[in-house]
Amino acid sequence: MAEDLVLDTAIRDWVLIPLSVVMVLIGVLRHFVSKLMRSNQVPDAKIVKEGQVIVRARNLRAGANFIPFKSFRARRFYYSNEENGLLFVPKGQAQNAQAQMFSDPNMAMDMMKKNLSMIIPQTLTFAWVNFFFSGFVAAKIPFPLTQRFRSMLQNGIDLSTVDVSYVSSRSWYFLNLFGLRGLFSLILGEDNATDDTQRMMQMSGFGFDPTRSLGAEKDSLDIVQHDWALPKFEHRAEAVLRKVLS
Amino acid sequence: MAGHNDSSAAEKKSSELTSDIPTFNAENLQSNMKIIYYSRTFLSIIGGVIAGILGFTGWTGFIFYFLVMAITSVGLVAKAGFSIDSYFNSWNQVILDGFFSGLMSFVLFWTFAYDMVHIF
Repeated sequence: MAEDLVLDTAIRDWVLIPLSVVMVLIGVLRHFVSKLMRSNQVPDAKIVKEGQVIVRARNLRAGANFIPFKSFRARRFYYSNEENGLLFVPKGQAQNAQAQMFSDPNMAMDMMKKNLSMIIPQTLTFAWVNFFFSGFVAAKIPFPLTQRFRSMLQNGIDLSTVDVSYVSSRSWYFLNLFGLRGLFSLILGEDNATDDTQRMMQMSGFGFDPTRSLGAEKDSLDIVQHDWALPKFEHRAEAVLRKVLS
Repeated sequence: MAGHNDSSAAEKKSSELTSDIPTFNAENLQSNMKIIYYSRTFLSIIGGVIAGILGFTGWTGFIFYFLVMAITSVGLVAKAGFSIDSYFNSWNQVILDGFFSGLMSFVLFWTFAYDMVHIF
Protein backbone atom coordinates (compact mmCIF):
# COMPACT_ATOMS: atom_id res chain seq x y z
CA MET A 1 0.00 0.00 0.00
CA ALA A 2 1.45 3.30 -1.04
CA GLU A 3 0.04 5.51 1.65
CA ASP A 4 0.86 3.57 4.75
CA LEU A 5 0.46 5.51 7.92
CA VAL A 6 3.13 5.11 10.53
CA LEU A 7 1.44 4.76 13.88
CA ASP A 8 3.27 5.60 17.06
CA THR A 9 3.86 2.67 19.37
CA ALA A 10 2.72 4.90 22.20
CA ILE A 11 -0.75 4.76 20.65
CA ARG A 12 -0.66 1.00 20.98
CA ASP A 13 0.51 1.13 24.57
CA TRP A 14 -1.75 3.91 25.74
CA VAL A 15 -4.83 3.65 23.54
CA LEU A 16 -5.37 0.30 21.95
CA ILE A 17 -4.41 -1.99 24.82
CA PRO A 18 -6.01 0.04 27.63
CA LEU A 19 -9.20 0.46 25.65
CA SER A 20 -9.54 -3.26 25.01
CA VAL A 21 -8.63 -4.24 28.55
CA VAL A 22 -11.08 -1.74 29.99
CA MET A 23 -13.83 -3.02 27.75
CA VAL A 24 -13.28 -6.57 28.99
CA LEU A 25 -13.09 -5.51 32.61
CA ILE A 26 -16.23 -3.41 32.34
CA GLY A 27 -18.04 -6.36 30.85
CA VAL A 28 -16.98 -8.50 33.81
CA LEU A 29 -17.93 -5.78 36.27
CA ARG A 30 -21.32 -5.36 34.68
CA HIS A 31 -21.93 -9.07 34.92
CA PHE A 32 -21.31 -9.11 38.64
CA VAL A 33 -23.15 -5.87 39.35
CA SER A 34 -26.24 -7.07 37.58
CA LYS A 35 -25.92 -10.34 39.47
CA LEU A 36 -25.91 -8.42 42.74
CA MET A 37 -28.79 -6.19 41.80
CA ARG A 38 -31.02 -9.00 40.69
CA SER A 39 -33.68 -9.00 43.35
CA ASN A 40 -34.55 -12.50 44.42
CA GLN A 41 -38.07 -11.85 45.56
CA VAL A 42 -40.11 -14.80 46.67
CA PRO A 43 -42.08 -15.91 43.66
CA ASP A 44 -45.81 -16.16 43.91
CA ALA A 45 -46.88 -19.66 44.92
CA LYS A 46 -49.62 -19.78 42.34
CA ILE A 47 -47.31 -18.95 39.48
CA VAL A 48 -44.77 -21.53 40.59
CA LYS A 49 -47.51 -24.09 40.85
CA GLU A 50 -48.70 -23.36 37.35
CA GLY A 51 -45.19 -23.58 36.04
CA GLN A 52 -44.73 -26.96 37.66
CA VAL A 53 -47.99 -28.19 36.21
CA ILE A 54 -46.82 -27.14 32.79
CA VAL A 55 -43.56 -28.98 33.27
CA ARG A 56 -45.39 -32.09 34.35
CA ALA A 57 -47.74 -31.94 31.41
CA ARG A 58 -44.82 -31.48 29.09
CA ASN A 59 -43.12 -34.50 30.56
CA LEU A 60 -46.26 -36.49 30.04
CA ARG A 61 -46.39 -35.38 26.44
CA ALA A 62 -42.74 -36.25 25.87
CA GLY A 63 -43.05 -39.65 27.46
CA ALA A 64 -46.50 -40.45 26.17
CA ASN A 65 -45.36 -43.36 24.09
CA PHE A 66 -43.75 -45.17 26.97
CA ILE A 67 -46.94 -45.84 28.91
CA PRO A 68 -49.95 -47.87 27.86
CA PHE A 69 -52.80 -46.09 26.18
CA LYS A 70 -55.10 -46.55 29.14
CA SER A 71 -52.66 -44.94 31.54
CA PHE A 72 -52.00 -42.14 29.13
CA ARG A 73 -55.70 -41.47 28.75
CA ALA A 74 -56.17 -41.40 32.50
CA ARG A 75 -53.32 -38.94 32.93
CA ARG A 76 -54.53 -36.78 30.12
CA PHE A 77 -57.96 -36.68 31.66
CA TYR A 78 -56.37 -35.68 34.95
CA TYR A 79 -54.69 -32.74 33.26
CA SER A 80 -57.19 -31.52 30.74
CA ASN A 81 -60.75 -32.42 31.71
CA GLU A 82 -63.16 -29.57 31.61
CA GLU A 83 -64.27 -29.59 35.23
CA ASN A 84 -61.25 -29.72 37.50
CA GLY A 85 -58.32 -30.65 35.27
CA LEU A 86 -55.06 -29.06 36.27
CA LEU A 87 -54.57 -27.35 32.94
CA PHE A 88 -58.11 -26.12 32.64
CA VAL A 89 -58.41 -22.42 33.40
CA PRO A 90 -61.82 -20.90 34.03
CA LYS A 91 -62.50 -17.86 31.90
CA GLY A 92 -62.87 -15.29 34.65
CA GLN A 93 -59.72 -16.17 36.55
CA ALA A 94 -57.50 -15.90 33.54
CA GLN A 95 -58.11 -12.19 33.16
CA ASN A 96 -57.70 -11.66 36.85
CA ALA A 97 -54.28 -13.23 36.96
CA GLN A 98 -53.12 -11.20 34.00
CA ALA A 99 -54.17 -7.95 35.58
CA GLN A 100 -52.48 -8.95 38.78
CA MET A 101 -49.25 -9.61 36.93
CA PHE A 102 -49.35 -6.20 35.36
CA SER A 103 -49.98 -4.39 38.58
CA ASP A 104 -47.06 -6.10 40.27
CA PRO A 105 -44.47 -3.35 40.60
CA ASN A 106 -41.59 -5.70 41.29
CA MET A 107 -41.64 -6.98 37.75
CA ALA A 108 -41.30 -3.58 36.17
CA MET A 109 -38.67 -2.65 38.71
CA ASP A 110 -36.60 -5.69 37.87
CA MET A 111 -36.87 -4.97 34.18
CA MET A 112 -35.81 -1.38 34.68
CA LYS A 113 -32.84 -2.38 36.82
CA LYS A 114 -31.68 -4.75 34.15
CA ASN A 115 -32.02 -2.10 31.50
CA LEU A 116 -30.18 0.45 33.59
CA SER A 117 -27.34 -1.92 34.36
CA MET A 118 -26.98 -2.32 30.62
CA ILE A 119 -27.26 1.28 29.56
CA ILE A 120 -25.32 3.12 32.25
CA PRO A 121 -21.96 1.38 31.83
CA GLN A 122 -22.23 1.72 28.08
CA THR A 123 -22.86 5.43 28.23
CA LEU A 124 -20.10 5.90 30.76
CA THR A 125 -17.60 3.94 28.73
CA PHE A 126 -18.54 5.78 25.60
CA ALA A 127 -18.11 9.12 27.33
CA TRP A 128 -14.79 8.01 28.72
CA VAL A 129 -13.55 6.90 25.34
CA ASN A 130 -14.72 10.13 23.81
CA PHE A 131 -13.04 12.20 26.47
CA PHE A 132 -9.64 10.52 26.51
CA PHE A 133 -9.19 8.97 23.15
CA SER A 134 -11.02 11.10 20.63
CA GLY A 135 -9.35 11.46 17.30
CA PHE A 136 -6.74 8.73 17.45
CA VAL A 137 -6.14 6.43 14.58
CA ALA A 138 -5.90 3.44 16.81
CA ALA A 139 -5.90 0.38 14.63
CA LYS A 140 -6.01 -1.00 11.14
CA ILE A 141 -8.17 -3.84 10.03
CA PRO A 142 -6.27 -6.37 8.01
CA PHE A 143 -8.74 -6.48 5.14
CA PRO A 144 -9.81 -3.82 2.65
CA LEU A 145 -13.26 -2.26 2.81
CA THR A 146 -15.20 0.03 0.56
CA GLN A 147 -15.82 3.73 1.13
CA ARG A 148 -19.25 2.94 2.50
CA PHE A 149 -17.67 1.81 5.74
CA ARG A 150 -15.86 5.05 6.39
CA SER A 151 -18.49 6.50 8.68
CA MET A 152 -18.59 3.24 10.60
CA LEU A 153 -14.88 2.72 11.09
CA GLN A 154 -13.54 6.26 11.22
CA ASN A 155 -16.06 7.74 13.54
CA GLY A 156 -14.38 10.78 15.03
CA ILE A 157 -11.81 11.50 12.37
CA ASP A 158 -12.87 13.74 9.54
CA LEU A 159 -10.21 12.99 7.00
CA SER A 160 -11.32 11.69 3.66
CA THR A 161 -7.83 10.81 2.47
CA VAL A 162 -7.03 8.19 5.08
CA ASP A 163 -7.43 4.63 3.88
CA VAL A 164 -10.73 3.15 5.03
CA SER A 165 -9.15 0.23 6.81
CA TYR A 166 -7.74 2.48 9.50
CA VAL A 167 -9.93 2.47 12.56
CA SER A 168 -10.44 5.38 14.90
CA SER A 169 -10.45 4.82 18.63
CA ARG A 170 -14.17 5.45 18.94
CA SER A 171 -14.90 2.88 16.29
CA TRP A 172 -12.53 0.47 17.96
CA TYR A 173 -14.77 0.84 20.98
CA PHE A 174 -17.77 -0.21 18.91
CA LEU A 175 -15.89 -3.12 17.41
CA ASN A 176 -15.04 -4.26 20.92
CA LEU A 177 -18.62 -3.85 22.03
CA PHE A 178 -19.86 -6.30 19.42
CA GLY A 179 -16.92 -8.62 19.16
CA LEU A 180 -16.34 -9.31 22.83
CA ARG A 181 -19.70 -10.98 23.27
CA GLY A 182 -18.21 -14.34 22.42
CA LEU A 183 -15.35 -13.85 24.86
CA PHE A 184 -17.79 -12.96 27.62
CA SER A 185 -19.82 -16.06 27.05
CA LEU A 186 -16.60 -18.02 27.46
CA ILE A 187 -15.25 -16.36 30.58
CA LEU A 188 -18.48 -15.55 32.38
CA GLY A 189 -20.44 -18.65 31.62
CA GLU A 190 -23.72 -18.93 29.90
CA ASP A 191 -26.04 -16.62 31.76
CA ASN A 192 -23.98 -13.48 31.50
CA ALA A 193 -25.49 -10.05 31.51
CA THR A 194 -24.33 -9.09 28.07
CA ASP A 195 -26.93 -11.04 26.18
CA ASP A 196 -29.91 -9.97 28.11
CA THR A 197 -31.94 -8.92 25.16
CA GLN A 198 -32.44 -12.56 24.38
CA ARG A 199 -33.14 -13.45 27.98
CA MET A 200 -35.47 -10.56 28.49
CA MET A 201 -37.61 -11.83 25.67
CA GLN A 202 -37.68 -15.23 27.30
CA MET A 203 -38.49 -13.77 30.69
CA SER A 204 -41.37 -11.70 29.48
CA GLY A 205 -42.69 -14.59 27.46
CA PHE A 206 -42.55 -16.82 30.50
CA GLY A 207 -43.69 -14.37 33.10
CA PHE A 208 -46.55 -12.59 31.51
CA ASP A 209 -48.98 -15.24 30.44
CA PRO A 210 -48.88 -18.31 32.62
CA THR A 211 -52.57 -18.91 32.04
CA ARG A 212 -52.21 -18.71 28.30
CA SER A 213 -49.37 -21.18 28.35
CA LEU A 214 -51.55 -23.46 30.44
CA GLY A 215 -54.14 -23.31 27.69
CA ALA A 216 -51.54 -23.95 25.00
CA GLU A 217 -50.18 -26.92 26.89
CA LYS A 218 -53.70 -28.29 27.26
CA ASP A 219 -54.30 -28.00 23.54
CA SER A 220 -51.07 -29.72 22.60
CA LEU A 221 -51.78 -32.44 25.14
CA ASP A 222 -55.17 -32.97 23.58
CA ILE A 223 -53.81 -33.61 20.12
CA VAL A 224 -51.06 -36.03 21.09
CA GLN A 225 -51.22 -39.15 18.97
CA HIS A 226 -50.61 -42.03 21.30
CA ASP A 227 -48.58 -44.91 20.04
CA TRP A 228 -47.32 -47.29 22.66
CA ALA A 229 -43.69 -48.00 22.05
CA LEU A 230 -42.99 -50.70 24.57
CA PRO A 231 -44.13 -53.77 22.60
CA LYS A 232 -41.41 -53.04 20.11
CA PHE A 233 -38.83 -52.39 22.76
CA GLU A 234 -38.16 -56.03 23.33
CA HIS A 235 -36.94 -56.31 19.79
CA ARG A 236 -34.94 -53.19 20.33
CA ALA A 237 -33.35 -54.50 23.47
CA GLU A 238 -32.60 -57.75 21.75
CA ALA A 239 -30.90 -55.94 18.93
CA VAL A 240 -28.88 -53.82 21.32
CA LEU A 241 -27.78 -56.79 23.38
CA ARG A 242 -26.83 -58.73 20.29
CA LYS A 243 -24.74 -55.81 19.16
CA VAL A 244 -23.07 -55.61 22.56
CA LEU A 245 -22.31 -59.31 22.61
CA SER A 246 -20.99 -59.59 19.10
CA MET B 1 -20.31 -35.08 25.69
CA ALA B 2 -19.93 -38.74 24.89
CA GLY B 3 -21.26 -39.83 28.23
CA HIS B 4 -24.52 -37.98 27.95
CA ASN B 5 -26.25 -39.80 25.23
CA ASP B 6 -24.77 -43.23 25.12
CA SER B 7 -28.00 -45.00 25.80
CA SER B 8 -29.93 -42.89 23.35
CA ALA B 9 -27.28 -43.56 20.76
CA ALA B 10 -27.71 -47.27 21.16
CA GLU B 11 -31.46 -46.95 21.08
CA LYS B 12 -31.36 -44.83 18.03
CA LYS B 13 -29.27 -47.29 16.17
CA SER B 14 -31.50 -50.22 16.82
CA SER B 15 -34.59 -48.14 16.20
CA GLU B 16 -33.78 -48.24 12.54
CA LEU B 17 -34.66 -51.90 12.73
CA THR B 18 -38.09 -51.36 14.20
CA SER B 19 -39.59 -47.90 14.06
CA ASP B 20 -38.55 -44.30 14.34
CA ILE B 21 -39.67 -42.93 17.65
CA PRO B 22 -37.67 -39.88 18.56
CA THR B 23 -35.95 -40.72 21.80
CA PHE B 24 -34.11 -37.49 22.31
CA ASN B 25 -33.52 -36.02 25.69
CA ALA B 26 -34.09 -32.31 25.26
CA GLU B 27 -31.66 -31.29 27.97
CA ASN B 28 -28.87 -33.42 26.60
CA LEU B 29 -29.52 -32.05 23.16
CA GLN B 30 -29.30 -28.54 24.48
CA SER B 31 -26.08 -29.25 26.31
CA ASN B 32 -24.62 -30.65 23.12
CA MET B 33 -25.58 -27.49 21.28
CA LYS B 34 -23.98 -25.42 24.00
CA ILE B 35 -20.78 -27.37 23.67
CA ILE B 36 -20.76 -26.70 19.94
CA TYR B 37 -21.26 -23.00 20.57
CA TYR B 38 -18.47 -22.84 23.12
CA SER B 39 -15.97 -24.70 21.01
CA ARG B 40 -16.85 -22.51 18.02
CA THR B 41 -16.36 -19.32 20.00
CA PHE B 42 -13.15 -20.51 21.60
CA LEU B 43 -11.67 -21.62 18.33
CA SER B 44 -12.66 -18.43 16.55
CA ILE B 45 -10.88 -16.36 19.19
CA ILE B 46 -7.79 -18.53 19.09
CA GLY B 47 -7.91 -18.61 15.31
CA GLY B 48 -8.20 -14.84 15.21
CA VAL B 49 -5.10 -14.42 17.35
CA ILE B 50 -3.18 -16.91 15.23
CA ALA B 51 -4.26 -15.22 12.00
CA GLY B 52 -3.20 -11.88 13.37
CA ILE B 53 0.19 -13.07 14.50
CA LEU B 54 0.85 -14.78 11.20
CA GLY B 55 -0.07 -11.52 9.50
CA PHE B 56 -2.87 -12.66 7.21
CA THR B 57 -4.58 -9.85 5.35
CA GLY B 58 -7.60 -9.64 3.12
CA TRP B 59 -9.21 -12.82 1.92
CA THR B 60 -6.49 -15.03 3.34
CA GLY B 61 -7.77 -14.33 6.82
CA PHE B 62 -11.35 -15.16 5.99
CA ILE B 63 -10.29 -18.33 4.24
CA PHE B 64 -8.34 -19.16 7.38
CA TYR B 65 -11.53 -18.65 9.38
CA PHE B 66 -13.50 -20.97 7.12
CA LEU B 67 -10.70 -23.49 7.42
CA VAL B 68 -10.75 -23.29 11.20
CA MET B 69 -14.52 -23.70 11.27
CA ALA B 70 -14.33 -26.65 8.90
CA ILE B 71 -11.73 -28.27 11.12
CA THR B 72 -13.97 -27.60 14.12
CA SER B 73 -16.88 -29.26 12.39
CA VAL B 74 -14.79 -32.28 11.52
CA GLY B 75 -13.53 -32.43 15.08
CA LEU B 76 -17.03 -32.25 16.50
CA VAL B 77 -18.27 -34.93 14.14
CA ALA B 78 -15.35 -37.11 15.08
CA LYS B 79 -16.10 -36.52 18.75
CA ALA B 80 -19.65 -37.62 18.13
CA GLY B 81 -18.34 -40.82 16.66
CA PHE B 82 -19.52 -39.98 13.13
CA SER B 83 -23.13 -40.61 14.12
CA ILE B 84 -24.60 -37.14 14.10
CA ASP B 85 -28.15 -38.43 14.27
CA SER B 86 -27.72 -39.73 17.77
CA TYR B 87 -26.51 -36.43 19.19
CA PHE B 88 -28.01 -33.62 17.14
CA ASN B 89 -31.13 -32.80 15.23
CA SER B 90 -29.53 -32.10 11.91
CA TRP B 91 -26.30 -31.52 10.10
CA ASN B 92 -26.99 -27.84 9.73
CA GLN B 93 -26.76 -27.34 13.45
CA VAL B 94 -23.36 -28.94 13.67
CA ILE B 95 -21.94 -27.00 10.76
CA LEU B 96 -23.58 -23.60 11.08
CA ASP B 97 -24.31 -23.04 14.75
CA GLY B 98 -22.25 -20.21 16.16
CA PHE B 99 -20.72 -19.46 12.79
CA PHE B 100 -21.61 -15.80 12.49
CA SER B 101 -21.24 -14.89 16.12
CA GLY B 102 -17.83 -16.48 15.91
CA LEU B 103 -16.98 -14.36 12.88
CA MET B 104 -17.37 -11.18 14.92
CA SER B 105 -14.99 -12.40 17.61
CA PHE B 106 -12.61 -13.64 14.97
CA VAL B 107 -12.44 -10.27 13.23
CA LEU B 108 -11.89 -8.46 16.50
CA PHE B 109 -9.05 -10.65 17.69
CA TRP B 110 -7.54 -10.88 14.26
CA THR B 111 -7.42 -7.09 14.09
CA PHE B 112 -6.09 -6.84 17.60
CA ALA B 113 -3.24 -9.29 17.15
CA TYR B 114 -2.44 -7.98 13.69
CA ASP B 115 -2.16 -4.44 15.00
CA MET B 116 -0.05 -5.52 17.93
CA VAL B 117 2.43 -7.38 15.82
CA HIS B 118 2.50 -5.81 12.39
CA ILE B 119 1.21 -2.26 12.36
CA PHE B 120 3.08 -0.56 15.14
